[in-house]
Amino acid sequence: MAAGTQSAPERSKVAGTGMRDRIMGWLAFAVLLLAAIVWLIPLAWTVDTALKVESETTTVPVTWIPPSGFTLESFGEILAGGNMLRWYFNSFLTSSIITLAVVLLASLAAFGFSRIAFRGRTFLFFVIIAGLIIPPQILIVPLFTEMNALGLVDTYWGIILPQIAAPIAVFIFKQFFDGIPHELEDAARVDGASRLRVYWQIWMPLSRPAIAAVAIFIFVLSWKNFLWPFIVVTNTDMMTIPVGIATVQSSYGVRYADIMASAVLAGLPLIIVFLFFQRQIVQGIANTGLKS
Amino acid sequence: MYGAAAAFGGMALASCSGAPFGSLRSTVHFWNLFGGGDGARLSDMESNFVDSNPNLELESTTLTWGAPYYTKLSMSTVGGRPPEVAVLHQTRLGAYAPAGLLEPLDPDMLSDYDIGPDKYLPAVLESAKYQGEIFTVPLDTHPQVMFYNTDICKKAGLLEKNGDLKPIRGADGVIDAFKKAKEVTGEQGVAFAPLDGAVPWRLFYTLYGQLGGEVLSPDAKEVVLDQEKAEQAVDFLVELTVGEELTAPTQDYAAAVAQFQSGNAGFHWNGEWEVTTFADAGMPFSIVPFPSIFGNNTVQADRHTFVIPRGVAKDSRKMDAALTFISSMMKNSLIWAEGGHIPAYLPILESQKYKDLTPQSNYAGVADDVILDPNAWFSGSGSDMETQAAVPLQQAMAGAVDPKQAVDDMRASMQELVDTPSPL
Amino acid sequence: MAVRAETAQAAGKKETARGRTDLAGYLFVAPFLIAYVAFLIFPVLLGLRLSFYNSSLVSGDAQFLGLANYKELFGDPDFWLSLWHTVLFTLLSTPPLVILSLVLALLANRAIPARWFFRLSFFAPWVLPSSVIALIWVWLYQPGFGLINSYLISLGLPEVAWLAGEGVAMISVVIATVWWTLGFNFVLYLAGLQEIPQELYDASAVDGAGPLSQVRWITVPLLARTTILIVTLQIFASLNVFDQIYIMNTSGGLNYTVTRPIIQYVYEQGFTSYRVGFASAMSYVFFVLVLVVGLAQFAVANRRRGNV
Repeated sequence: MAAGTQSAPERSKVAGTGMRDRIMGWLAFAVLLLAAIVWLIPLAWTVDTALKVESETTTVPVTWIPPSGFTLESFGEILAGGNMLRWYFNSFLTSSIITLAVVLLASLAAFGFSRIAFRGRTFLFFVIIAGLIIPPQILIVPLFTEMNALGLVDTYWGIILPQIAAPIAVFIFKQFFDGIPHELEDAARVDGASRLRVYWQIWMPLSRPAIAAVAIFIFVLSWKNFLWPFIVVTNTDMMTIPVGIATVQSSYGVRYADIMASAVLAGLPLIIVFLFFQRQIVQGIANTGLKS
Repeated sequence: MYGAAAAFGGMALASCSGAPFGSLRSTVHFWNLFGGGDGARLSDMESNFVDSNPNLELESTTLTWGAPYYTKLSMSTVGGRPPEVAVLHQTRLGAYAPAGLLEPLDPDMLSDYDIGPDKYLPAVLESAKYQGEIFTVPLDTHPQVMFYNTDICKKAGLLEKNGDLKPIRGADGVIDAFKKAKEVTGEQGVAFAPLDGAVPWRLFYTLYGQLGGEVLSPDAKEVVLDQEKAEQAVDFLVELTVGEELTAPTQDYAAAVAQFQSGNAGFHWNGEWEVTTFADAGMPFSIVPFPSIFGNNTVQADRHTFVIPRGVAKDSRKMDAALTFISSMMKNSLIWAEGGHIPAYLPILESQKYKDLTPQSNYAGVADDVILDPNAWFSGSGSDMETQAAVPLQQAMAGAVDPKQAVDDMRASMQELVDTPSPL
Repeated sequence: MAVRAETAQAAGKKETARGRTDLAGYLFVAPFLIAYVAFLIFPVLLGLRLSFYNSSLVSGDAQFLGLANYKELFGDPDFWLSLWHTVLFTLLSTPPLVILSLVLALLANRAIPARWFFRLSFFAPWVLPSSVIALIWVWLYQPGFGLINSYLISLGLPEVAWLAGEGVAMISVVIATVWWTLGFNFVLYLAGLQEIPQELYDASAVDGAGPLSQVRWITVPLLARTTILIVTLQIFASLNVFDQIYIMNTSGGLNYTVTRPIIQYVYEQGFTSYRVGFASAMSYVFFVLVLVVGLAQFAVANRRRGNV
């Protein structure tokens, strides 16, 4: 049976253009749509509550559109409180430095592993990758002891330093570097360029996709990180956003519009990062997953 | 290039250990665990401080009551950058003073700021000391009291002609009064919170204390829980929840408050601090001391105090700011008393303005009858001992275990705590 | 003679060249390695040391206890109970997080419009920090005016004590966690699905295979590697749960006695009760458990790969 001699019913079975497939397609879409709506409701309700007047957040039965209409007063209160802006700064500062440090240190190390045949390279790489199995949660007690001995409790470096040791970044970079052909650096080495120069002027520009993936991933993860900043920081002015909104209470009791406003403000930067860098994040996860 | 510059700039900023937006004025960082009505009063007192001290800045932080607050306070002190002033329950002194987490307060230094030893009742001052040194400045005593709905009690025939509550005494007298109240409300006679982490202990400790029972030996190395007295205390609570069904065995703190506020219960057992809630709700109520059920008026209480964490005294400017703040708050403690607490500061306690406060002054005399939780590193408000005792008490009040079992369970968990090697 | 001298010289040059290569390699690797040793390896070793002492958060001197901490923790009912909570959480959350994400990815893999919308809906929660998740769901779970309960009431159903109820508190945490992290698995599955060549489906369709058979015999087996990865990551993450349960416990009124995970117990013993040594011992025992689980998974995965 040569191709092209298929009959019409057979062709419809293959290409999914038959009636049954069409119906299945629409069914799938409907189910997905329902699931997506259910998934979006919590976020929508959070934003909705944050836009309400406090007294109307607890009315029964619940309404999506409150009688007094929408207002930004909760956002105003949270921002005027002073803590939120400082927490934004803390999160931004620590996450940026962590990201920079991880990209730099991990790519340098990965370059070494990938391109320099030094003694002990396999062993050291194995040691680093083995670190993937160490959950950070089991380290909180000794890490606090260590950072306290260094006098770094309640400091930015206290937040930053432990988060720099990210074996996953070395793994991702090495995978990427292994895929780059050797000819490029061979030519440069012949011209007498030092390895560092090769790394900086040839490698890094070539690795933009990997850098972007690692940078965004680490930035998001470090911003999201709750446990370690929670342990190492106790002063309100040093807290990152996730720690601040979970720890500091309003002295006026439970005010749901305010709480939801702080939740929205806390999540907003990451959502914005996500919207801008969706493709990189998703691709980063996908590629890492496939390579694993 | 710009990236490198940004990186260096960032690292420079990161080397600042404090807020980069600091000012040249001394800042008092003040930690507390006051929410709700207390929080609002605190704000008023803080405003007074800020207004009368333009050369000082105040940063007040409220953390969640209980273990979250206390854990952060100790970690902050251990880490070397604690707040200048913090609130401490008097009953937690046993976990903080021997641990070296507090600055000792010299009596003369305190007198310089008008908060010296002569400004408190002797018993109050004694409890502020550890091994002879003063470590806390007591702000208030807050005992358990009995709230009652004047309308409901009137209908139940429980009021005198002048509107005061007829004296309610003895186990039978109390049950009788609650029964009458339940007949009027149709729901509960008394509302309290078996499902809370602290309330069961407070009530148990009150009743057990009225029977003259001790929980721990003075050095906290032995559990001396008297089986008979403890069972009697638990029995009474069980009688209220399961026996006579005068209160719901599964309501939490908020629900209990709401039930009393909405008139579904004639009586309410709680700390006096809820007076603001009920006053703001505009409901008809008053307060009397916790009833004498087993022959005397002993009642559980704790004290809020101000402490200065270890490390602050290294900087005399910070110490001065801290003491100025504490002094200001003490002098403003009439506002605090309006929130229901019995002030510890004698100038306020003995003032006419305080005596004129009703219904707060109804129970001011209770200060002599209060018992605080035993002194140990694992006991006190929000401590393990308190929360662990809540579980068997809850189970007993829900009718799931009998009083003997509950007391045995409580004894076992206390024994475990006593046996745990002290981390101090 | 001259030849030997030349080879010796060449060998010497090779040695120095080799030495220079080694040095270069170490220099590149050193910065990361230093951070890695200082903040990952050292704490692991320090934790081990602390576990043999009566170390305290607030006091400097600590007595050597030998194995006393370990003996104590094995006899501690709270240790076992909180460990059980962690295991229960893992058992309850892993199946939906794996299966539901696969189902949704299968649906989304078809030629449907606006796939970006679905990816956004499912993945957006993942970028949010755990405290935001906890706040949102504590709000949703409120009795009376909470969204979920009020919808139940309007449908004539009884309210559910999502946070306080003994039987349901853990389920509430699982639901919130599934909502939060499903998107990550969803994206992984989508990527894996798109690697499967369309011809396989076409060929099987010619042979009369319906969509369900295709899923069973083509899709799922070919997704084995992705599934293994997802299950591994999922179990690892679930065993180490802390954030959302802790926050919902302390500021949300979640029923503490039926949800406290092992990491939270470690935190409480180490930082609230000052018992650093005891908490370190518990951390170590738990670390060993995680390792064992990880190795077991690795063994299973390898055997599977042998078969496929």
